[in-house]
Amino acid sequence: MPPDASLELRFVDEQTRGFAVVRGVLQPAHTSSDSGAMVTVRVPGGVGYAASADQSAQGLQWAVDRAHAWALACARAGLLRDVELPRPDACGARHRGPVRTPLPEDAALVELLQTEAAALKCDPRIVHWSASLRLTDTRQRLFVDGELVADQGFRFVEPNLEATADDRQRSQTRSLAGQYNGFCQQGGFEVIERSGMLGGGARIADEALQLLAAPNCPTGRMSLLLMPDQMMLQIHESIGHPLELDRILGDERNFAGTSFVSPDMFGSYRYGSELLDVSFDPDVDAELAGYAVDDEGTLSRRVRLIERGILMRPLGGALSLARARAAGFDLEGTANARANGWHRAPIDRMANINVEPGDATLEEMIAGVERGVLMKTNVSWSIDDSRNKFQFGCEWGQLIEHGRLTHVVRNPNYRGVSATFWRNLARVGDDATVRVLGTPFCGKGEPGQVIRVGHASPACVFDDVDVFGAQD
Amino acid sequence: MPLRERFGGALTRVAGGAGAGEILAGWLRAERSDFVRFNHGRIRQAGTVERAVLELRLISAGRQARHTLTLCGDRGIDDARVDEGIARLRSAIAIAQPDPYLSFSETATRSLHHAPARLASVDEISDAVCGGAQGADLVGFYAGGPLACALISSLGHDHWQETSTWSLEYSIYPGAGGTSGAGIGTDAGAAARDRALKACVAGAQWSADAVRDSITTARRDAEILRRPALRLEPGRYRCYLSPRALADLVEMLGWGGFSARAHANGHSPLSRLRNGEATLDPRVSISEDLLGAGAPLFQADGFMRPPRLELVRAGRYGHSLVSPRSGREFRLPENGAVDSESPEALSIAAGELDERQALARLGTGLEVSNLWYLNFSDRQNCRITGMTRFATLWVENGEPVAPVEVMRFDDSLFRVLGDSLEALTTQRHRLPDTSTYDGRGFGATTAPGALLRELNFTL
Repeated sequence: MPPDASLELRFVDEQTRGFAVVRGVLQPAHTSSDSGAMVTVRVPGGVGYAASADQSAQGLQWAVDRAHAWALACARAGLLRDVELPRPDACGARHRGPVRTPLPEDAALVELLQTEAAALKCDPRIVHWSASLRLTDTRQRLFVDGELVADQGFRFVEPNLEATADDRQRSQTRSLAGQYNGFCQQGGFEVIERSGMLGGGARIADEALQLLAAPNCPTGRMSLLLMPDQMMLQIHESIGHPLELDRILGDERNFAGTSFVSPDMFGSYRYGSELLDVSFDPDVDAELAGYAVDDEGTLSRRVRLIERGILMRPLGGALSLARARAAGFDLEGTANARANGWHRAPIDRMANINVEPGDATLEEMIAGVERGVLMKTNVSWSIDDSRNKFQFGCEWGQLIEHGRLTHVVRNPNYRGVSATFWRNLARVGDDATVRVLGTPFCGKGEPGQVIRVGHASPACVFDDVDVFGAQD
Repeated sequence: MPLRERFGGALTRVAGGAGAGEILAGWLRAERSDFVRFNHGRIRQAGTVERAVLELRLISAGRQARHTLTLCGDRGIDDARVDEGIARLRSAIAIAQPDPYLSFSETATRSLHHAPARLASVDEISDAVCGGAQGADLVGFYAGGPLACALISSLGHDHWQETSTWSLEYSIYPGAGGTSGAGIGTDAGAAARDRALKACVAGAQWSADAVRDSITTARRDAEILRRPALRLEPGRYRCYLSPRALADLVEMLGWGGFSARAHANGHSPLSRLRNGEATLDPRVSISEDLLGAGAPLFQADGFMRPPRLELVRAGRYGHSLVSPRSGREFRLPENGAVDSESPEALSIAAGELDERQALARLGTGLEVSNLWYLNFSDRQNCRITGMTRFATLWVENGEPVAPVEVMRFDDSLFRVLGDSLEALTTQRHRLPDTSTYDGRGFGATTAPGALLRELNFTL
């Protein structure tokens, strides 16, 4: 390596175990082991990478040579020529995610799933039912120029239940917190206990049957009470993604999209009503994307992204901030440059993006709605490439009439525009309404990366929303 | 080095690893890929990834277990990883329950397909793309290199398919300059920031000329996007969907539309088509054309897949994709579908409209180049919502006159490809699968353009 080059090594080891009981049958056991290294070489004005599962000296040398060639090409024709490349601010950091209660033996976990699966199949109209659990142990080590920057370990727990009821006219599906594992946290057995999985089978199946018998969601402009397992998606799509600085800098315009947010908006743009406070918070206990150091070696800490409705800072890692500075925008960011494995390079990703609780109880929020719908649990999501015009659908809807929850409705959907939707935030639920959720499936990047993100949120009421149901 | 030389040795270990009364199989996906991201006509991020993922499967006494591991290319280390994986599977299977739907073909089949090609060097990629973009705001992604898929088993299955491919998928943003930092906070709002023309050039043998020609054409075609954009009111508009836009829509049917399991579970968006309550226009025929796309005909359960399978025949439901496991569970004849029962090589039949006449036939309406972020808004009725993206143009009297701000549509595919379908073009375009989430793939969709009497826009 030439003297002006810098060498970064990131080792990632991941072990996964999955269990599932589907339509009464225990699925074949499936485990996985994945291990490899990403080498990044920095030269003045250029960065290149190479990744391989061959971690021998010979294998790493191949990766160093290849990464160096890319760094030189980047220095000749790259975007980073006028950018001062950042150095890690972490040094020797060691972090282990929380595990409060050890997991029992696999046989006990399987028995637990079989119990819930049996409870899900409570009626002949339940045509599909599943109970599943995925456990992942990850260790990441980051070295820069031979020095340990961070050594971090995590255990991710993803329990889920799902039931589909079908009466030959229609079918309806209900799940624990979304069909894409919305209840997922770091930890041990306590995550399964918190998830509602234990004893949850009967409730999920009953709710699927209720939906089957329910009328369609009404159409019209009305108030919308979103519970945390839909707030999660609302935050993710219309706050998280538009605040990613690499989108704002244009990197994702060919794939994931751009953003309606521009760099000059930070510090002054009214994103939402005065009730809206949003944090990047790596420290919420058990939240899925909590970590000490990001994949560029930046120490992670809690910061406010939106304060009393005003946009304060982007989700920008050290390199993106340096690029923005070179373009004349001196922004403060977050430690959110992350890769989804050894085989991908870090880019700006959401981590834990949370709406802060307010002071309204759930009862007060319902009592304050004259005509509206309570919606729970995301099932459909679509938003434009600037993260503005969205349409989302939920598994569960319940009418609110004259301040009271009344009957269940099926296929509840709503649509709006991010730039105005958050300004209609009318009530924010208190601590008692908060749930710590997330998803293991946030997709972005070229090449594509699916990564874990966390979203904690209270229930929230929005005024004057365009609500509708399915075709009768 | 070919992937077969680097990783094939570990498969030999798998083939010989079964004990008495055991079947052992290995399913491999491997690639060595150069990935280069471009922004503002320059390199944003570049590198190489070599990755080989082997799924081991052990079957014994009606039980089975799987273990997935990463190979590194060092024969000694890889053999040790395979041995450790087999030991792990033996432990797992000892406490496993019988699997009533276990299915693995006992008919040993073999195939070998290796199509090497000349790929670009680091400098050739940079020179062709950055040189072609000179002065233009090009943002895009090059992915290229060898790609392999293989199946081995102790019963004698021995399949290897290896090919080298490259693709450059990119967008030209004519509203912003091409220098570093240009376009940041200087555009006239988000509406201008998401106005672009998207193009894709791909192949086996690298061609710098093809890249430069493609960029030249795209830069010329993107000029119209400099005109002031129209903001349309929600409503129903006549539309011409490009082959890419029609493919975006039809690929949604991969979410359970043709899956035998999804039909049994109540999850399929095509259940009404399958039971005859809904039909599509008789000119709509869709098949899974693995042969045409160059996708492997073998699959992980050891079965062979038909080269071509009709999924929709003249507007009516044809065959489902039935995996061996679904076949056993739902007592259906399997047709070798992969376990996900998702199509990999959709092929939509051509129609009778010359695509050069498509805008003239459209008259006045929307020309939609790409759709984006599609999802079901009412799965039962195959109703899909999504956005227009990139070069969506307003056409008057057969001539494109202005770009249109992005619009949300929400409509049933039963209507869009039913009463609303006016014509399909005679020309079909091969659209390679450029997704890289789980690694590069072999698949492709082949689609014509579609002229629609109306599409319902809601926001």
